[in-house]
Amino acid sequence: MSSLFDKIGAELRRGLVQIVALSLLRERLYGYQIVKILAASGLETEEGTLYPLLRRLESQGLLLSEWDTHGSRPRKYYELSPEGRAALPKLEEVWRDITGAVGRILESDSPAELAEAEAK
Amino acid sequence: MTEGLEQKVQRWLDEAATAMGGRPEGRRDALLELEATILDRVEERTSAGQVPDEAVKDVLDALGDPAEVGSSFLPPAPLLPPAQARPYLLHTAMMFVAHFLVTVGATVAEHPFSLGPIHIEPIANPRNVIDLLVRATGTLLFDAGAVLCAHVLLSRIGRLSLLRRMTLAVRPDARRCTMNACFLGLVLVVANFFRDNLLALYLPTPDGVTQIPFAGPGIIANLPLLNIWLATAIVRELMYAQRGERRFTLVLDLVSNLFGLFALLRIVATGRLVDLTLAQEVLGVNADTVSALLNTVFVLLALVASATLASRVVRRSWRLKLVRP
Repeated sequence: MSSLFDKIGAELRRGLVQIVALSLLRERLYGYQIVKILAASGLETEEGTLYPLLRRLESQGLLLSEWDTHGSRPRKYYELSPEGRAALPKLEEVWRDITGAVGRILESDSPAELAEAEAK
Repeated sequence: MTEGLEQKVQRWLDEAATAMGGRPEGRRDALLELEATILDRVEERTSAGQVPDEAVKDVLDALGDPAEVGSSFLPPAPLLPPAQARPYLLHTAMMFVAHFLVTVGATVAEHPFSLGPIHIEPIANPRNVIDLLVRATGTLLFDAGAVLCAHVLLSRIGRLSLLRRMTLAVRPDARRCTMNACFLGLVLVVANFFRDNLLALYLPTPDGVTQIPFAGPGIIANLPLLNIWLATAIVRELMYAQRGERRFTLVLDLVSNLFGLFALLRIVATGRLVDLTLAQEVLGVNADTVSALLNTVFVLLALVASATLASRVVRRSWRLKLVRP
């Protein structure tokens, strides 16, 4: 049963990483920095989840990336693109709507009453 | 880090690279990023006092199976979006039924007959059930591949409305439409006035240069039809360039494409699209062999397309199973 909860938990977290990564990338960060920040915030995320996501967001034009070869090893830094900066507030609004709705559903005693209240 | 540990990391990265697929230059970025992360993690652990050997082992264990990490970089690009699966099956079924009826007609008919632009010649021998089944299988494969190609093309074009889905041409801007119109105009002029000189293959022979025309009897007999289609296509492109994507331009587009399809079917029905008779004489090429070769290529293409689709479907359902609680 615990593996079932682990799977559901991992799925839920995976869905959150997108908006969290976008929010973090208001600053210029490289992949492993993001992994560490997420872990420190309690949202432990695997590289196999985060790195493909960053590449996808980059190909969608929401992120910009740049290789920095000055340090001991090359690092790929990511940052929000102008399109990403424009999209972030809208995504935050969507996120607030979702959390509000989920919160109402989780806290309601009777789903039927909730539906009636929403209808009014 | 010792050479042995570096090799261990490299082996992990190689396995991840294999699972990533795609072209090496596309994988390079991802591998460099993974390598930097591994080295960062190892460095953190060794700075905290861990033995390098153990640190590498722990880091690689924490990252997980390299094949799984590598495969997560595969872009989710199904040939057909899930929403198109049902229309794809429906269109394939419709095309197969029509195709199958023609095949049955050709297998059992005693004499040639015509259905609109389609001319059906009886298949001489053998006219039995096994032959019909073999042909039907080939037909199904071909239809599955051909409809898939059409659907993939349409989904890439990304038109939304039904009318948009039924039109094939890509018209992002006025400049490209004007270029299309110029190109079609050029085809019109060549097909009518320079057909013998330009639609030909020139081969050097001991007696000089031999000209092999390849505008077959199908094209020549249906030139008026082809001209009408080219003219409507030019008008369509110019209308798109001037007025953009409107309802009437989309209707014109649809009519023009249907007319083009009709013209193509007439050309195919009338005779060979490409005249290989002279090529047969000059080069010793057997027209039937070339025809059989082309058919084989089409069936192979259909097989590849169908197999690709099947593998995508299987992989997709496998992935779905993985993420289902």
